[in-house]
Amino acid sequence: MKGGVALKLLQNSGVPIYQQIAEQLKTDILAGKLKEGEYLPSIRGLAKDLKISVITTMKAYELLEAEGLVTAAQGKGFYVNAQDSEMLKEQHLRRVEEALQEAIQAAQIAGMTDEELQGTLQALLSMKDS
Amino acid sequence: MNEKQTNKRLNSDLESSNRSNNSNINRSDSSNRNRTNSSNNNTYNKSGSRQESILQAQNLRKRYRGFELSVPSLELPRGFAAALIGENGAGKTTLLNLLAGIRLDYKGEITYFDRQKKGIDGSVQERIGYTGPGSYFLPQWTIRQVEEISELLFANFHRDRFRALCDELGIGTDSRGGMGGFGYATKEVKKLSDGNRMKLMLAAVLARDTELLLLDEPASPLDPLMRDKLCDMIREYLEQGDGERSVFFSTHNIADMESVTDYCLIMEHGCIVEEGFVEDLKEKYILVKGEATDAQRAGEILFSMNRSAYGFEGICLAGNLEKLVGMDVAFETPSLSQICVAVMKANTGMKV
Repeated sequence: MKGGVALKLLQNSGVPIYQQIAEQLKTDILAGKLKEGEYLPSIRGLAKDLKISVITTMKAYELLEAEGLVTAAQGKGFYVNAQDSEMLKEQHLRRVEEALQEAIQAAQIAGMTDEELQGTLQALLSMKDS
Repeated sequence: MNEKQTNKRLNSDLESSNRSNNSNINRSDSSNRNRTNSSNNNTYNKSGSRQESILQAQNLRKRYRGFELSVPSLELPRGFAAALIGENGAGKTTLLNLLAGIRLDYKGEITYFDRQKKGIDGSVQERIGYTGPGSYFLPQWTIRQVEEISELLFANFHRDRFRALCDELGIGTDSRGGMGGFGYATKEVKKLSDGNRMKLMLAAVLARDTELLLLDEPASPLDPLMRDKLCDMIREYLEQGDGERSVFFSTHNIADMESVTDYCLIMEHGCIVEEGFVEDLKEKYILVKGEATDAQRAGEILFSMNRSAYGFEGICLAGNLEKLVGMDVAFETPSLSQICVAVMKANTGMKV
């Protein structure tokens, strides 16, 4: 697909398909994989490629539009908006917090102490550096 | 706002049908419901593309002995695939026959594309592709003759595209899969299986430049692999039209066609009892599952439901969800099939 975007859709995950598409494209936009001014695949082209209905891709794009991530250009499709770098940073921070929150919960279930958890994080960070 | 009114109406209809076993009451109710529903079309806004229609009809009526088709208002959205769903005998074929110009003895008006003039004529037919349950090719024609005649009949027929489609769909090929001119020139329409005859009609229709496809039960004679292919072909047709091409097909295998259905019209007893974009219907109707102890109370609120010793499962109108407060229930987004079955159950005269 265009721009190296990859979409992985799960039919029976309980998450509506349009939401899965919107979330994955959102991730790509916020990560800068889809750049400002770049057009998303056409709604009917994407529907064809993903073997889903046109209305589903349209709803996904409308969701992104409502969040201010893309803009609909009459007769030309949807293009990616300039992303506010502050907002972008904010988004990333939130994701870091969410992931850490999840890790803390898992640690509690496993009966890890706070020190052990911090130690694990330190170890992972040093592994990344080396 | 219109949707709320419709919800209320649907609900009161359901109550009345619960109270009474008389199926005639259901029937007269559904024609009333039809009127409120037609205004649902415009619930979609934004980019504008959902609002335009490719075909409009007003006050369509066709009467047979013991059957009446009555569609006060019909609008097919431009650039999408719309499905006509209903029981056998609901009037799907009658409606498609009126739209395709196969039957002209009806009351009411049909407007095609952006034309001022009502009704069908040659220039409209040139822009429409139709396939139906029968074969409109004579039994003794060979595939080559089908090609030659299609070429004579339609200015926008492309011979090379037809051949490529026949090849792709495996019509008139020998068992080794090669076209080799053999089956193509000699294979007669009557020697084709039902499935291959449908494929041949699809090939002949898709070999033309059209803006609207009217397909009466295209999936029925096809095997599962070919149904999947049919969905692909419809999506490709829409994609190539880039918003200017539309498809209207009837089916009773909604599960097979769900992945290609954008807009859905449900028909019962000659009336359209529900319609809308699929994603809207999936927000209007919610699938609810709960415990057997709550079944009695839930039954009064739900649009339709199934009970068993283990619990109940039913469809609830989104507007009525709050009435389920206090029950131990789980919610899910229904599939289009589940919505259709619920709507059909609520409207049918049959005790299912």
